[in-house]
Formats: sequence, structure tokens, C-alpha cells
Amino acid sequence: MAARDDSVREPVPYADPLGEPFLRTRFALPARPATFVRRPRLTDHLDQALDTPLTLVNGAAGAGKTLLVADWAAGLGPPVAWLTGEAGDRQPGVFWAYALRALHSAGVPLPAGAGPGPGPAGRVDHRLLVCLAAELSGRDRPVVLVLDEFHRLTTRENAEQLEFVLHHAGDGLRLVLVSRTEPLLPLHRYRASAAVTEIRNDELAFTPEEAADLLARHGLRLPAPATRALVERTGGWAAGLRLSALAARQSGDPETYLKEFEAGRSTIADFLLAEVLGTQPAPTQDLLLRVSVLDRFRPELAEALTGRPGAEPILAGLCRQNSFVEDLGHSWYRLHPLFGEILRVHLRARLPGLEPELHRRAARWLRDFGAVPQALTHGAAAGDWEFTAGVFVGDLAIGQLLTGLRADHLRVFFSGMDPRATGAAADLVRAARELSERDLDHGLAHLRHAEEQLPAGPAADPSRLSCTLLECLAARLTGAPGRAEQATATAARLRREVPGHLLAKHPELAALLLTHLGSARVWAGRFDAARAVLTEVLDGPGGAATAPAREDCLAHLALIDYLDGWVGRAEREALAAAEARGAGGRPFPGAGLGQLVLAAVAVDRDELERARSLLEEAAACGAVGADPVTEACRALATARLLLAHGDARAAASAAAPAVAALTTAPWAEAHAALTASAVQLAEGRPDTAAGMLDAMPCSGEPRYAAEVAWVRLAAGRRAEAVETAERLCGSDLTGPGVTVRATLVRARAAAEAGDTTAAAKLLARALLDARPDRLRRPFLDAGPGVRSLLEAPYLHGLAAGWLHGGARAPHDGPGTGTGPPALVVEELSGREREVLARLAQLMSTQEMAADLFISVNTVKTHLKSVYRKLGVNRRGDAVRRARERGLL
Amino acid sequence: MHCEIRVEGTMSDMLTRAFPELEHVTMSGQTVLFGPLIDEAQLYGLLDRCLSLGLRVVEMRRLPEPG
Repeated sequence: MAARDDSVREPVPYADPLGEPFLRTRFALPARPATFVRRPRLTDHLDQALDTPLTLVNGAAGAGKTLLVADWAAGLGPPVAWLTGEAGDRQPGVFWAYALRALHSAGVPLPAGAGPGPGPAGRVDHRLLVCLAAELSGRDRPVVLVLDEFHRLTTRENAEQLEFVLHHAGDGLRLVLVSRTEPLLPLHRYRASAAVTEIRNDELAFTPEEAADLLARHGLRLPAPATRALVERTGGWAAGLRLSALAARQSGDPETYLKEFEAGRSTIADFLLAEVLGTQPAPTQDLLLRVSVLDRFRPELAEALTGRPGAEPILAGLCRQNSFVEDLGHSWYRLHPLFGEILRVHLRARLPGLEPELHRRAARWLRDFGAVPQALTHGAAAGDWEFTAGVFVGDLAIGQLLTGLRADHLRVFFSGMDPRATGAAADLVRAARELSERDLDHGLAHLRHAEEQLPAGPAADPSRLSCTLLECLAARLTGAPGRAEQATATAARLRREVPGHLLAKHPELAALLLTHLGSARVWAGRFDAARAVLTEVLDGPGGAATAPAREDCLAHLALIDYLDGWVGRAEREALAAAEARGAGGRPFPGAGLGQLVLAAVAVDRDELERARSLLEEAAACGAVGADPVTEACRALATARLLLAHGDARAAASAAAPAVAALTTAPWAEAHAALTASAVQLAEGRPDTAAGMLDAMPCSGEPRYAAEVAWVRLAAGRRAEAVETAERLCGSDLTGPGVTVRATLVRARAAAEAGDTTAAAKLLARALLDARPDRLRRPFLDAGPGVRSLLEAPYLHGLAAGWLHGGARAPHDGPGTGTGPPALVVEELSGREREVLARLAQLMSTQEMAADLFISVNTVKTHLKSVYRKLGVNRRGDAVRRARERGLL
Repeated sequence: MHCEIRVEGTMSDMLTRAFPELEHVTMSGQTVLFGPLIDEAQLYGLLDRCLSLGLRVVEMRRLPEPG
């Protein structure tokens, strides 16, 4: 299957998008307590779940849904995947991270079509869903995926994505949703085609016989009429039966107690819970009320909240009695969700005002336990923002506010920060948020303020290192290379002092520092020094944490290569930058730089429509006003596109980057000057054009020399132009993007001198030089005199298939610079092209088959021959190779 | 906008504190929670709260603002 060919088996990510270690307890089938009653009528009904894609178990809180499904699932052969939903899992990225991890725990290989992780918390890459569905649809045995507490996971978006995967996974997936509310799936469709098994509240209700069994397991034997009356009173509700058994047992005279209860009209759960709670010893009651603020807890954490030792035996006792507390294994416990809600009401009433203090204690315990994300949540719930910011900065996590999977989540999280919170950590968090929102004024002010408050203590304090990262980012954003150098030098010194485990936990910090430094060096035009640090990032640790930094670095390397005329290499780097995306969220602030370089490449190829759409893509992935380098590249690509369209005036005004920087970038100025002179040239003022370039400070640099020579030739300064062009052609400092133009200068000069033989030879050289990268633009710019020479029969052969024939592919390979050796390409058939186009749209094999009205096997056959003809064996490579050859 | 949520059974005083924004009255074995409503989102929040506290909603009404 095509999609699976591409599934590199990545190691399972340790953390979800919120950075929280996956908690084993959430993927384990809940244990059935000794009092559990197996009800064959329900398990028999559930067995139908194996024949329908979808199964719903809907019922009120405490209806016994979870235990029913857990018991049924435990009796199935593998693979069974289980996930217990929790509040906070609704964001699609988080939901899918957990769902994938649950599937992985059940032995389903994770698709890696969209990188090692599912992406940022707030969204999920559609490719990932396609790959997952493809992976599942190819299975011999279906996977049973149970999503318990689904009402905590469901949003319209999640439901739609789940529906997509379910639909495309075919017989490879059996989805069981356990929920209090009906999920947002198109259930009418499933019902109409009998594709859903449903167990609803009424069916979950206990019959008198089942209730008698349940009560007996609680040590309560009642006459049949009494049991029937109790079932009537509770509506057969499992939680009600359970609580009434516990309350009755504690009362001394169960039958009388139940009679009174039956006669009463109180709401069942809260009445009975109060009764059962009331009979517990005072320390137990206190413990239950206090832990109600926690999702999950250990005995030590419970002790931190009560301030008393001895939680362990209390919890063990509560588990034994089957009241309130569930044992999750590995010393973790949780309250039954229904009882937890009611206990929180009791907590607020009986210990008013204590909640923030409990959150504060929990936050401190969780920090010391190493559970940083949970410590942040509880710190915020306590309203203790100085502590919360301190935990965050102390963990050296500041880089996660800028880029990566957690960035969106953390920005929202810290947007709730109390404006009165003080301290270096709080100001660092503010500065990071503001800088990431391009609010330079406030960001810089908070950064200054944080620096003034830095503790005078040891250099090992993570807040110092965090400060240097923001310094370096601020330097990049303001175009201040000197400050970036300074900040990085300080950071290098501090990194030796900071605890190694923190640095290892946050590889993004070092990667971001070097990336920002590299960007600042590119701005300063120090390309070799920039290349050194950018390459260092690429050679550093991989993974989702550093993915945005690596994307940013690749895009910068692409820009450097493009400016030096190495068009093919620039394109490969920019495409690699795009590949790095998805795994770790967008880079900040360089989002879109890669597309901008690709747009400039497309202009050089005269693929103007493609250039336009790449510019739009770039604008969509980062707000205008990003960082100076990206803005300068945007100005360059836009101006070149407008020039190619013949709109000289618009090009001139687009050529100046819309960014305020403290220093100027020599290359950006040079390109603005080249555009300005091209405008003069286009409007018939070659002398003015040449004069402008004479004033340009770096007009002698090889990377601009060809364009300068072209303008001089047009202004009649032939000898000067030819001398420059010859020097360029003889050196290997620049790539075809520059040398093709230089050769064309010489060709035109020769033609003007009447030496058509020499001109034709030079043209042949230019054609050969330009062909691997399909650089058509220089020939179109070269003027009618040169173009008429191209009509010579023997040059025609060199130009055939790429220069004249629209956006067609050349018949030799990519062959650029360090690329793979040229391959002879066999023409693709019409069907193969159609399949290839759909491959590029990330359609699954099934979708292609449906779309093209052919069978899945036929699609596979076409895919195989596409792969063979392109000399690749993976989906991604096929698309890349096809793009390189202009087949797409 | 006003709302009126009728739940099965008599709620304890303790549990009514889970709905501090609403008044409550008990009648014929049911508890009626009622009061002003900011918007639809609040209504769904209230229903969700009933659900998570194990309350059985038997009737729900939205009444226009009097006058």
C-alpha cells in the first residue's frame, strides 16, 4: 500500500503535545472490582460490536458503562486499544496523540507519514489521519479501539476526524465510544446501514435479578420485593444501587434503611453519597474532600493536601470497600468521576476558600515530583502566577513558548497570567509571549525588566539562560547582529553551568539560540559564518522539539544558496524545510521563508503562476512583519515576480522590505538596487540604470556581478561587462543562477559584435548550464537578439523540452550540484500522471481508486510503475522527484 | 432570557450549592432550578453540570425575559 511504503517507524514520542508524559494508567483496561456483576445480555449484545464499525455505549454518569466495556474487552483477543478521556484532551492534536499512543500500546504500528508526532496541540495534520486509516485498512484483524469518557474528548472537529479514519479504515477498525452524551458523528447514516451497535441508558439499567446479584456481592441479601422496589426507586442505576448497598450496610438495619430510602424522594446520588461519606472516619472524609481537586493522585500527594501522614492505608481501605476510590495501578488512584464531582461540591461548602490552597500544595508537590505540566495547571488554578512562571522558567522551557507543539497551548495558558505577578520569571514569560506576537516594544521592555530582577545568585539559574535566548530572538527580530553574537556568547558560557538534565530535556533551547544567531548573521551578509551555525543545528539532536528550528535553518541555507545562484541546492533545502514541518509546528519567526525561496526559484524558471501561489502560501503561514531576513526575501521574490510580469513600477515599490531593522542587510539593499535599475532598464533608460549600480557599494561581488554586467552591457559599456562576465564564468563561486546570466552577457556582446559563431557557442553553454535547473527566465530577459539566435537548429536540440515547451520536464535528470546522478526518465502514462497528482494531494490508495473509478489493485499497479519510472520507492520521494521534474 | 430546569428528586442543600447562579424550589418530588440566563452556552453548561452530578433532568424550559 502506497501510504504504508512511506511509514518510517519512528520511535514513539515520549511526550504528548502538551509535553505531558503519557500516563500508562490511561491506556490500561480498568480493573473490575470484586463486586462487579457480569451481565450476559449486555456482553452478548456487545459482541455485535465486532461486526459493526461503530459501537456506542451511552448512559448517565455511574450507569456502569466503563466496567461493562472493560470486562467485555478483556475477554477479546488482542488487539484492543483503550483510552480514558480526560478534561483537556479536546484539542485535536492532544486527542490524536493519545489515540495513537493507545493504538500503539495495542501493537498497531504508528504511521509516520506526518513525522514523529501528531503536531501541535491545536490541530492535527490531515496526512497523519490518511496514513493511520491506510495502516488500519491493511490489517488482517481489526483493532478494537475503545474511547472511554468520550464526552470529555468530543468536539465537532475530533468527531469529523474520527469519522474520516473510521470510514477509510474499513474493516481494520472497530470503534467503541463510551460516553455520557451522544457523540457528534453522523449516526443516522450508521443507523440506516445497520453499521452501529448501540447500548443505551435503558439497556444498561439493572434488572431486579442483576440487582440482587450486585447487592449480594456487597453482602446484602434482600427479599425479592425489596430488591424490586429498590430497582424501581433507583431506576436500575448502577451507582444508585451501589451507594444504597453501601449506605444500607453501614446503617445496621439494611432493610428498614432501604425502605425509608425508597419512600423518600431525594435525588439519589447526592443523598446516598452524603450518607456514605458521613459514616467514614473524619480523616477519611477530609482526605476525600481534599483530593477531589485532583484528576489522579498518589498517597504522598494526598498527604501533601491533608498535611497528615497515613493516606496509603485509607486509600487501600476505600478501594477494598469499593467506595469512591479506584486503584489505577502503579500507586495511582482516582475518584469515581461522578463521586468526584459531588465531593467537590461538598469541599466548597464545608471547607470554603480552601480550594486555591489545595491547588497550591498540589502544584508544589507535582513540581518536586517532576510533573511540570500538572504543576503548571494547579499553580494557575491556585492563581499563583509567580510560582507557575517560576516552575516554567526553572524547567528551562521558555523556548516552548516560541515554537513547537506546546506553543499555542502555552500562550493561551499564560494569557491568563495575573498582571500583578512580579519577578524575573513572570517578566520573562511576558517578554516571550509578546516577542512571539511581534509586540517588540512591550516584549523588549519586559525583557529589560526581567534582566534587572535576575537573582544575583549562581549563573546556573535557568532564568539567566532563558534571558539570553530571548535576547538573541530580540536581536534577530530587530536586525541587530552584534547583540545576537553577544547573547549567544553569554549563553555558551551559561550552558556549562546549567544542570545537564534540563538542557537534555529541552534541546530546542540550544537549537533556537543558534538558529536566531544564524538568521542574524544572514541579515549581516556573513553567509559563511551563518552557514556554520545553521549546519550545527542540523547536525544536532533531531525530534519534534527541534523540528521548527531545523526547518528555519534549512530555509536560511536555501536562501544563502539561492543568492549565490545554486538554484537546485536551494530548492532541495527549501523542500527539506517543508518536510521538516508537521513534526513540530511552525518555526517562529521564520515561517514561510522556505516557500519564499521556492517562489524566487519558480520566477527564475518562469513558472509565474507557481511563484504566485507560493508567495500566497508564505503569507498564509506567517503574518507579514515577521523577521528582517524573511521580509527581505519576501520583497526580493515579490519584486522579481512583478518584474517578470512586466510590472516595473510595482516591482520597484515592492523591492524595499517592509521591516524596521537597526542595521541594514547589504544583500537586501543590493537586490533593491538591482530591481530599481531593472525598472530603469525596462523603461528605456539604460544609462540611469547603470549609474545606479555604480553607486551600489557591493556591485563587485560575484553574486550580483552578472546582473550588474547585464545592465552595463545594455548601457553600451561592453568591454567592462564582458570582462566581469568572463571572470564570473571562470570561477566556481556562484551557481547557474548567476553564471547563466553571465554567459548570456557574453553571448549578447558577441552577437552585437557580429560574431554569431561565438555567440551561438556561448548560448549552447548557457543552455547546458541552465537546463538541469530549467532556468528559463534569463533567456526570456535576454532580449529578442539573443532569442532569435536560439532558433539555430543545433541549439534547438539543447532547448527542446524545457525552454520552449511551457512547464515541461527536461529529459535529463535533476543533475544539480550535489544531487543524484541524472537518470533517464521514461514518460509517464496519462493514468500514471493522474495517480501521481493524487499522490501529491496525499490521497490514500482507496481514495484514488474511488476518485478515478478504478480498483485498488489497479492503483497499486500504476503506483509501482510511477515509482519505477521515477527511480524511487517511497511516496514522499515520488512526489519530490516529480516536482523536481516539473511533472506536477 | 430565563431558564427552568426540572430534575427528578429532592436535591440536598449541599448539592444546590453546585448551582449558585440559580434559585431552586422543591415541588412534588422534583427540584426546579431557575434563574436568568446569559446565553445558550450557559444553558449547555448547566445541563452538563446536571449530567456530571448524576441528576436526571426531566424538563427544561427557556422563557423569554418578562415584560
